[in-house]
Amino acid sequence: MRCKSLFAVLLGTVFVVFQASRVLAGAADVLVSTAWLEENLDNPDLRIVEVSVNPGQFERAHIPGAVNFVWHTDLVDPVQRDIASAENFQKLLREAGISDGTTVILYGDTNNWFAAWGAWIFDVYAVPNVKLLDGGRAKWEDESRPMTNRVASYAPGNITLGERNEMIRARLSDVMAVVDGSDQAKLVDIRSPDEYSGRIFAPPGVQELAVRAGHIPGAVNVPWGEAVAADGTFKSADELRKVYAAVGIDGSEPVITYCRIGERSSHTWFALSKILGYEVRNYDGSWTEYGNTVGVPVVNLAGTVWGGK
Amino acid sequence: MLRTEAVQRSSWLSLVAAALVVFGVLLWAWLLATPTPAGRALSFSLLSGALFGVLLQRSRFCFFCITRDFFEQGDARGLLGLVTALVVGTLGYHALFGTFVPDPLSGRLPPDAHIGPLSWVLALGALVFGLGMAVSGSCISAHLYRLGEGSPVAPFALFGALLGFALGFMSWNRLYLLAIEQGPVIWLPGRLGYGGSLLLQLSLLAALAWLLARLGRPAEPEPPVSLGQALWRRRWPVHIGGILIGMLAVVSYLRVAPLGVTAELGSLSRTAASGLGLLPERLLGLDGFAGCATVVKQALLSNNGVFVAGLVLGAWVVALLSGDWQPRWPRLGEALRGLLGGVMLGYGAMLALGCTVGTLLSGIMAGAVSGWVFALFCVLGVWLGLQLRRWGGW
Repeated sequence: MRCKSLFAVLLGTVFVVFQASRVLAGAADVLVSTAWLEENLDNPDLRIVEVSVNPGQFERAHIPGAVNFVWHTDLVDPVQRDIASAENFQKLLREAGISDGTTVILYGDTNNWFAAWGAWIFDVYAVPNVKLLDGGRAKWEDESRPMTNRVASYAPGNITLGERNEMIRARLSDVMAVVDGSDQAKLVDIRSPDEYSGRIFAPPGVQELAVRAGHIPGAVNVPWGEAVAADGTFKSADELRKVYAAVGIDGSEPVITYCRIGERSSHTWFALSKILGYEVRNYDGSWTEYGNTVGVPVVNLAGTVWGGK
Repeated sequence: MLRTEAVQRSSWLSLVAAALVVFGVLLWAWLLATPTPAGRALSFSLLSGALFGVLLQRSRFCFFCITRDFFEQGDARGLLGLVTALVVGTLGYHALFGTFVPDPLSGRLPPDAHIGPLSWVLALGALVFGLGMAVSGSCISAHLYRLGEGSPVAPFALFGALLGFALGFMSWNRLYLLAIEQGPVIWLPGRLGYGGSLLLQLSLLAALAWLLARLGRPAEPEPPVSLGQALWRRRWPVHIGGILIGMLAVVSYLRVAPLGVTAELGSLSRTAASGLGLLPERLLGLDGFAGCATVVKQALLSNNGVFVAGLVLGAWVVALLSGDWQPRWPRLGEALRGLLGGVMLGYGAMLALGCTVGTLLSGIMAGAVSGWVFALFCVLGVWLGLQLRRWGGW
């Protein structure tokens, strides 16, 4: 009997350790710590890329060796509302010295919002070995790690991109299919509760507006900040699982994330798909597309009317 | 005998007061310097503002005074000092830009550099600003350092500038659609490369210096004085001020932002006017321009706010030490001229996205054509203002 109990405990321990290592390994596959990055700054197979929201951050100072991707111009098509074309994105990566075997570490300001969006674009183009610096610029700066304003230049890389992987991207028609019940998915609105309830159209100080306030019917509200700890790093997989399970998202159904213009929602896309391994699409049209679309159903809890006093 | 004693007592009092202000500034800088990027920037801004105040006060780096000296007395030394600052700043900025924008022809602009759109609105703003300088007796930066000298006019001019900014915000949307939106933003290195831009700027400044030296009358030599007197009593030669201000501008751009003194004033005015419901909900395109940005205040302390506070305190310290601290009550005429000129200064600075420090000094150093246009029309405004003053008999 004692032998049996001992065996059961041992087996249990092995199982727990195995599970824990799986989770840790999963996280480590997609995230690197600030300490790890500082130790690996000179690794020639590594390319560090900054994607910051605020212009001028990179130029003032950045992680030594990093290259700058400007989200306004480098990661989008500057005329049509779309992500960068395969041709332009491949050119950008090659100029940054990225080759087929290169590991890319992305980081940025404001809790890696746009760095995560960068990671999503890398994933749309099926580029492997792309990771986020956990905690981003803010954590690196808070820890007084080295910064420079010298610009590094690299010999052109040879990466070749394949077709776009549209499976991680939701279009308006995909969202409409969920709304009218012809497709099954969980919608996660990562904006602030005031935007979700329709009290405001956009965050204070932001000029991109939708002409209707509210949220997509059926969407749950989990502001992006729920996914991070106090120091800006992602919460552990267990904690993340609990946060999303509380609103009925447990990976049993596909998920669609959205925000106002589709960038911040990439942060939650990253947490759900890369750390928890759920099937997630990012709706990059987001509320500025949905809230301006004629005839689609809207939930407006606050009852705010556009143009009304 | 009694008079000498009184003078001695007042100089001791000034010395103690100056020491207390220096202690206060250092303590504040120490308290601001939390180990965060924001804390370091605030602390640096305060100290560089204080140094700027010292340099402005000691070398009498007042854009209006030096222009008037040239127009009325043919004394070109002040304007040559300004040209010196622009030469030093141009060299330093161009040396730095390579690390900020490695390829200037890429279409990208260096971060935060004061490169504004060109249009008749910029010319109008500069002209009104120049007129405001002549009416109020100083530009905004000089009113700030004069505040440290106890000037009776400066408070009225600065209050007027707040009103002027509000008027500028109220007319912004219409002017933006009329002219500013289509105005090209021309950065010389973006068109000519760093070498070409440097060559053009230095040639223009050399030509200007030659012209000033030719048109100006030679100044009378001043009697020799001791080193202490030269430092604390006599004004510093303006070209010394110019060299030091040029160097400060470069270091300041590297660490925090280009020199500028109107961002905080503009922000205060915008926040107040917005709170009173005087402004349209959206100021079209305004926040997208570099320059003396005037965002609605989110935090009590901004880099530009502590820079301006440092400027006033730094000027106060050296004014106390040099005996230039001479506060007195304003006369009605002075107050009214200060207020009216101040409104013009604020209005002009808002339309031109900065003033003689932000748009002229920092802009030209950066190779912005908008800086040159501002300089031209600002000088024209001063000249017109001086004619007005002569005509009005004041």
